[in-house]
Amino acid sequence: MIVLLIIAFIGIILFEVPGLIKQKMWRDLVAFSIYLFIGMALSIPQVLGIILPNPSKAIEVIIKPVSELLK
Amino acid sequence: MLEHGKIDSKQAILLMISMILPTAILIVPAITLKYAKQDAWLSLILATLVGLLIAWLVVSLSLRFPGKTIIEYTEEILGRVLGKIVGFLYIYTFMRIGSGVCREFGFFLVTAMMPETPMIVFIIIAIVISAYAVRNGLEVLCRFNQLFIPVTGLLVIAFLLSTTNMKLTRLLPVFDTGLLSIAQGAVSPIAWLGEILTLAMIIPYLTKPKEAYRVAVISVLLSGFILMINTMESLLIFGPDLANHWLYPTYNAVRVVSIANFLERLDAVILMVWILGGFIKIGVFYYAFVLGSAQWMGLKDYRPLVLPAGLIMGASSYFLFGINIVEYYSHLPYHLILPEVVIPLLLLIVALAKGKGKKSEDEAT
Repeated sequence: MIVLLIIAFIGIILFEVPGLIKQKMWRDLVAFSIYLFIGMALSIPQVLGIILPNPSKAIEVIIKPVSELLK
Repeated sequence: MLEHGKIDSKQAILLMISMILPTAILIVPAITLKYAKQDAWLSLILATLVGLLIAWLVVSLSLRFPGKTIIEYTEEILGRVLGKIVGFLYIYTFMRIGSGVCREFGFFLVTAMMPETPMIVFIIIAIVISAYAVRNGLEVLCRFNQLFIPVTGLLVIAFLLSTTNMKLTRLLPVFDTGLLSIAQGAVSPIAWLGEILTLAMIIPYLTKPKEAYRVAVISVLLSGFILMINTMESLLIFGPDLANHWLYPTYNAVRVVSIANFLERLDAVILMVWILGGFIKIGVFYYAFVLGSAQWMGLKDYRPLVLPAGLIMGASSYFLFGINIVEYYSHLPYHLILPEVVIPLLLLIVALAKGKGKKSEDEAT
């Protein structure tokens, strides 16, 4: 599974990066790398079975008063 | 400008309808019936009215800043730092709804049709197809949608065919559950109809932005109407007490249709609407997410971001929603109230107070 994921990452990089470098779109390249990094950071731990803290839970705590009001 | 394509009003209406409906027809009836019981149809009328208000709010905000999407004009209204923060919140919202739809898409197919297949397979297929559409731009997404929207009409036909099993007495007693329950039942359809917010990303690319009011109103009314038909269908066939214990009452309602032992298993209709609509719905939010991020970071092109963004959405569809999706459905509406109602309202008030964007409107009139 992890091998498949890494192949997918390499595929995405090979698909996008040469074109970006050729057109000298450095800003786009940086944004691309940031998004790819976030994607890696979210997907690799899940494949390895590590549970990350969930931001939805934090939002649930904030909105709880409103949802309790209507329940 | 990042997007060179233009779409006309008709295409925009169809796109908005298939952006709201596919997940709503399956998920909303159960939640609404749980709160409002036999008065669910009143809840949906209420929700459609509120949906119209949200549509009016979003469109009048967007028309003050012609040629700009919600990510760009928040910066103009609130200043650079605060505008970036609110813009980020909207990017996050689009990403969140998008990955939620991926999850719902996979979850329904696994629970209802193919229990042996891993859910990630459906999610990856959906994201790859949507990624292809999004990379090709808004026009391609719209044309894909135009090709498949007639399938939604099958829902109305399925409703007409299932009238044989219906009993109008199941609606009685009318208005027995009280105003509060009706309002509670209206919350989740409001959240779904409020997804019309995404129109704020698309208005600049309409051929006639002036018609945006018409686009928003017609799409909310039509979606509200089809949603009401679907809720009524499961309500009239099963009654409120049976229907609210299922996760997908509409699916079960269509399954019982049997005309002359010949016309049976209409669940394929729901499945078709779900799969085709699911692709469009994921595509629209995917597009909003990618275009929004590109504008937020000031890029020249949004295409390089498409594939990594799909990766983020696919990973978040597991990461954000945990195991228990039923719990997620009941919380979802409250997540969406802030970006759909509160922030646009505040933005409109601030824009009015600062007199921003007024000039262009005067020129037009």
